Amino acid sequence: MTGVEKYDVILFASVSHALRAEKILKEAGIPFKLIPVPRHISSDCGVCIRFSPAYRKQIEEALAGKVDVSEIRPL
Amino acid sequence: MSKIIDAKGLACPEPVILTKKALEQKDDVTVIVDDDIAVGNIKRLGVKLGRVVSIEKKEGGISHIHISGTAEAGKKQAAEKGTDTLHYESCSPAALVVAVSSDRMGRGNDELGYVLIRSFIHTLLTLNPLPDTIIFYNTGVKLAARDSEVIDDLMQLEEAGVSILVCGTCTNYFGISDALGAGCISNMYDIAGTMAGAGRMITP
Repeated sequence: MTGVEKYDVILFASVSHALRAEKILKEAGIPFKLIPVPRHISSDCGVCIRFSPAYRKQIEEALAGKVDVSEIRPL
Repeated sequence: MSKIIDAKGLACPEPVILTKKALEQKDDVTVIVDDDIAVGNIKRLGVKLGRVVSIEKKEGGISHIHISGTAEAGKKQAAEKGTDTLHYESCSPAALVVAVSSDRMGRGNDELGYVLIRSFIHTLLTLNPLPDTIIFYNTGVKLAARDSEVIDDLMQLEEAGVSILVCGTCTNYFGISDALGAGCISNMYDIAGTMAGAGRMITP
C-alpha cells in the first residue's frame, strides 16, 4: 500500500453494477478495494474496484455472466 | 536547554498533548514514556512538525524520545533519508479536523452511504496538506476497527502523521475497544477540545 504496488481497476457503467460486483467478490473471498474512480481516468463521481493484477483471472471468472464490466485497466 | 517530560503511566493521548504543549515553548524536548503506542504517536507528532526525532530504548519498556531542531532541520533530515514524502506546512494557520460521526456518508440510503464514506476516507490520503486530526464517534468508530474496509487507509494516514482519535465511549458501546486497528482511544474532553481548537472542521 505504499504506492510501489501496481494495481488494476475495474470500471462499471453504474454504481449499482459496482456494488453487485463487490458482493460477488466478497463472497468469493477475493481481495479488492472499492475506491473512487481516479481523477486521471474519469471526472465522474463514480466508484471502481481496485485489485492486485495477480487476481485478475479469478475476478474475471467470478464476474463472468453476472455483472457487466465496462473496462479493466491499470490504475 | 532541553525540556524533559515524564509521561510514564499516562494514557493515550495525554503524552502527545503534553509533548505538543512543550514543543510550543521549547525546540528541544525529551519525553519519557512506558508504552509503545505513545512512542509511535509522539514520533509521528515530531515528524509532522518537521522536527528531528530519535528514540532511545531503556530497560523495563521505557523509551526516551528526543525531539530537537527546528522544522527546517527536520525537513533536511527527511530529505537525506529519502523519506521526504510529507508535504506539510508545519505552520498551518488553521488546523483541519475531520469529524466522522457515522460509518455512512450522508443520509437517505445506507448502502450508498457506506460506499461514499469509504471513498471519502480513501480520498483523504490525497489531500495536501493532510488533515491534522480525524475524530471518529458514534457508528463512525466502526471504521477504525481492525476488520474495517478502510483500515489500510487509516493506517497510512496515521503513518503520515495524522492524529486519529476514536471515541472510547463509542467503542465500548459497540464492544470493539479491543479490536481497534488504527488511532487511539480518546475521551470527550479531547474530542470536544480538538473540535473547539479546529481552524476548519469537516463532517462528511
